[in-house]
Amino acid sequence: MNTKLMLGAAVAAVLGSAMIVGSGLAQAPTAPADKAAFMKERHHHFHEIGAAFKGVLDEFKKSDPSAAELQKYTAVMDNYAQQVPTWFPVGTGPETGIKTQALATIWQRPDEFKKDAAALAAAAHNINVAAQSGNLDAVRAGIAPLGGACKSCHEVFRARDEH
Amino acid sequence: MADRRIRLWDLPVRLTHWSFVALMPALWWTWKSENMFWHVRLGYIALGLVIFRVLWGVVGSSPARFTGFVKGPFAVSRYLRTLFSKSAEPIVGHNPMGGWSVVALLGALAGETGLGLFTSDTDGLNAGPLNYKVSDTLGETLTHWHGALFYALLALIAVHLLAITFYLVVKRENLIGPMITGARRLPESIAAPRLAPVWRLAVCFLIAMGLMWWASAGLPLRFPHAHP
Repeated sequence: MNTKLMLGAAVAAVLGSAMIVGSGLAQAPTAPADKAAFMKERHHHFHEIGAAFKGVLDEFKKSDPSAAELQKYTAVMDNYAQQVPTWFPVGTGPETGIKTQALATIWQRPDEFKKDAAALAAAAHNINVAAQSGNLDAVRAGIAPLGGACKSCHEVFRARDEH
Repeated sequence: MADRRIRLWDLPVRLTHWSFVALMPALWWTWKSENMFWHVRLGYIALGLVIFRVLWGVVGSSPARFTGFVKGPFAVSRYLRTLFSKSAEPIVGHNPMGGWSVVALLGALAGETGLGLFTSDTDGLNAGPLNYKVSDTLGETLTHWHGALFYALLALIAVHLLAITFYLVVKRENLIGPMITGARRLPESIAAPRLAPVWRLAVCFLIAMGLMWWASAGLPLRFPHAHP
């Protein structure tokens, strides 16, 4: 293991834990008092994951993809992906009447949801480790599993965008 | 006065027209059934056809040209006053209202296919070739408009079909036949439209294909090379 990788992993770990501590979403075994704010923040974080994933895809469209840029994006995704299981306490679904694309299936099939969340966490971690090591080919190879993890979970647990 | 059959709609106009007729439900269905592979490819064909039709509207056969059928407000109101008159002189090609219908339909199709290039699904796995040019949030907004504009397109198609039905039922004039066969009967006194030569068709086709390919490849400024 080279020092660059070690340093990158350490930075990501510190950054990640700092964000977990700072985020109200992280510890949420029961429904929060302000559900609307909680769900809005959840939505916002998924947006950040999506934007970071797009950042990775767009970076590879460039003739000279930057490892530093990729590391930034994959660190965000890794950090949030680990938190996803804590983002869906009982009582924060569509039954609230608050605008959400979270489907009731999340709470109806919790084991399946946990499995999907774990797959996302693993895929996001793998691509982040690859990026922090500076191995762009490994990052590129990590795109499809990560996108697939997003997609397979969304197919069952998230309402499709309808117009 | 004796009538004779003339060639009104040339083959390029008819082919683009009926291609759009086939593509609209196909594009809707591929989206609905989440078959994005074909949705994207059919979308490229639609984009190429829009580009071709615009080019053909500039240099094509006379009934296909914008300069021939895009009329000002006075011509439109004059036409509307004679809408129910039986003695009105037959119009070769689009009437002044129909001309604007063509512009609206073609504009909506251009907007719809153009927006499609910038779209992305939630997972980023099915992104349009130009999605990388815009931010995540702008991409989401444009994706929303790609969906919303489809309904405007449906409304325009509905108006188009109503107008054809009106001509068929009230004016007893079949507009569908000429769009299939290309031919229509007109009095000797009215000059037949000028048809564009085939070489222009070839040039327009190649330009449209080239632009379509360029857009689908993400508007590269250098020749794209495969990643090692």
